[in-house]
Amino acid sequence: MNPDANPAPSPCRILVAEDDSELNQQITSMVRDAGYQTGSCLDGEAVLQEVARQSYQLILLDLMLPKLDGLSVLRLLRKSSQIPVIVVTAKGAEEERITGLRHGADDYISKPFNQVELLLRVEALLRRAQPVIEQKRESLEIDQLNLRLSDLKARVGTEDMDLTAIQFNLLWELAASRGEVLSKAYLSREVLNRPLGAYDRSLDMHLSRVRRKLSQAGWRGERLQTVRGKGYCLK
Amino acid sequence: MNRRLLWKLILLITAGIVAMFYLINYVTVRAEEEMSMLSQAHRDELRDWGKQAETLYFSDDRASLERWLEVLQQREDTLAAVVGYSIRHVAGSLGLEDRYSGNNLGRDVEWKIHLYFENNPVMEIPFENSDISFLVLLPDRMRPGNYWQTTRLLLQIFLPALILAILSVLLYRHIMQPLISLQRATREFSRGDFSVRVRPQLGARRDEFSELANTFDQMAARIGEQLVNQRQLIADFSHELRTPLTRLEIAIDSLGKHYPDDPNVQRLYRESRHFRKLTEDTLALAWLDNEQPRLTQETLDLVDLIDVIVDDARFEFPDREIETYLPDSAELKNSSHQAVGQALENILRNALRYTPAGKVVEVALAGCQLGTGAAGFQVTVNDGGPGVPDALLETIFRPFYQTDPSRNTESGGVGLGLALARRQLKAVGGLVVASNRPQGGLCMTISLPAV
Repeated sequence: MNPDANPAPSPCRILVAEDDSELNQQITSMVRDAGYQTGSCLDGEAVLQEVARQSYQLILLDLMLPKLDGLSVLRLLRKSSQIPVIVVTAKGAEEERITGLRHGADDYISKPFNQVELLLRVEALLRRAQPVIEQKRESLEIDQLNLRLSDLKARVGTEDMDLTAIQFNLLWELAASRGEVLSKAYLSREVLNRPLGAYDRSLDMHLSRVRRKLSQAGWRGERLQTVRGKGYCLK
Repeated sequence: MNRRLLWKLILLITAGIVAMFYLINYVTVRAEEEMSMLSQAHRDELRDWGKQAETLYFSDDRASLERWLEVLQQREDTLAAVVGYSIRHVAGSLGLEDRYSGNNLGRDVEWKIHLYFENNPVMEIPFENSDISFLVLLPDRMRPGNYWQTTRLLLQIFLPALILAILSVLLYRHIMQPLISLQRATREFSRGDFSVRVRPQLGARRDEFSELANTFDQMAARIGEQLVNQRQLIADFSHELRTPLTRLEIAIDSLGKHYPDDPNVQRLYRESRHFRKLTEDTLALAWLDNEQPRLTQETLDLVDLIDVIVDDARFEFPDREIETYLPDSAELKNSSHQAVGQALENILRNALRYTPAGKVVEVALAGCQLGTGAAGFQVTVNDGGPGVPDALLETIFRPFYQTDPSRNTESGGVGLGLALARRQLKAVGGLVVASNRPQGGLCMTISLPAV
């Protein structure tokens, strides 16, 4: 999940909708530097025209747009398209959570954000939107740890572990991409089925519990590693 | 200033009390009259005695009349007689003495008995067409007004007492009703509802109290407006800062790519992080103060949350030691992991900042009973710092308050952490109290309801 290594064989096209022209320019060039193709819009109506004109794989949508605000754009967009949208807001974490600003968006990020935070979310969403080519696996075996997908059973040696469905799925995701750092934004989408919010610790708490249970079962829980600022990785 | 209440009180009290005395007097007089009369049975009995005496008298059997009177006196324990009288003219016109025939020597059975005389009166039953009457001292058993003393007591003491009590209750309610409205409004106002107004609750009332209500409403409107404006200003300010801060962060990011090792770039990174934290905290504080939200939609395991936060803190402060004393599990219902998590994070960071390198910070979690009697959990965070003067143990929860004025941004604190922590815990029904440990250092005690 290194931002410098473009994951897609043919570059994805990303639309940046932000009314502050300077910030729009900065985000556009930052996204372009990361290897994506870009388009940019300064108001809501332009977004709808641009999407009709050209095909995009992802939209970064600011909520406070002139002419047509972000939520209206999202509502109109959703009538005809399932294109992934990351909503950009200038509100605090609590306000969003209460007012449900993420309605209809695939992910959201609040200002201020930096390059790493934004690109992690973009990658997570694009990775999700891509068709899964990897073959379906039924079970995984790492040292003494055995994971069976059919009945969500995890066992260490001969002993069953007592994991909830979320905890199992989290462990499965990390085990399936063993050695690779999976971002929190991606895991939140895959495992918890919702975008990662600000100060959202649900994923970390589940991981902490899985780690505890692995250690209790006699497997080295610390092999589930936290990679600061990036995500999690099973070594 | 109009004095409507004064006039109302004067009218109510003077008119009410005069009317009361008039009424009581009237009722007392009527009641005494009613109670002074002989009962119909006794009247008939007395008349019957008169008839018997008359019959005996006109039968000219003096001996049996005497015997009958003897028996009667014995039986009724009284005096009885048959007497004759003649009217003698002394002076003046003649004829007046004949116009009236009736009672001359005693009281008629239809007359009332004066209850204020202790002795029983003599009753007279005149014989028909003669100057002879049957006289009898009213037997005790026939004396009316048995309950007169009780009745008089009731009418003269209990009735006025009752009426005055009712009058007092009416007065009290008239005065208290606006005061209760005012009290309720003051309480809601102090809870942060600045839209509360008293005047509409008083309806059409126009007196000293409605003026008080008007004054209160004006004050509430003024203070409310000021507070809301102030908070809105803070919120708008933080909000407006977000876009330029984003531009700044992205610019620093791209600068960092070209000069990754420049200490000035590193400094810019640090400062922009600090700016961001300040903005987010201020906005969160303004939001928590404005909305006073209840964040209770989530069930979480406090042990997992503390694990995560301690893990982050160990990374952030690698040179301090954190010892944890945690059970295997501690379930919190109707809570919010974001609120509790940020609060714990801020409190732990504060503890670590004041703890010298190499010293220990202890984090302990245990089940407990809350002040309300409900089950809950208590998290204690003990630091190895200098503690806080006892007088300042509450002050440290104020926004932007710092015990050490020389502290700068280098240590990362902006003085909002504890203020935020307290408000976030309040939003999930919890609280935090600071105390000094006997062996030195500060102890933060966080109580959280389990349900």
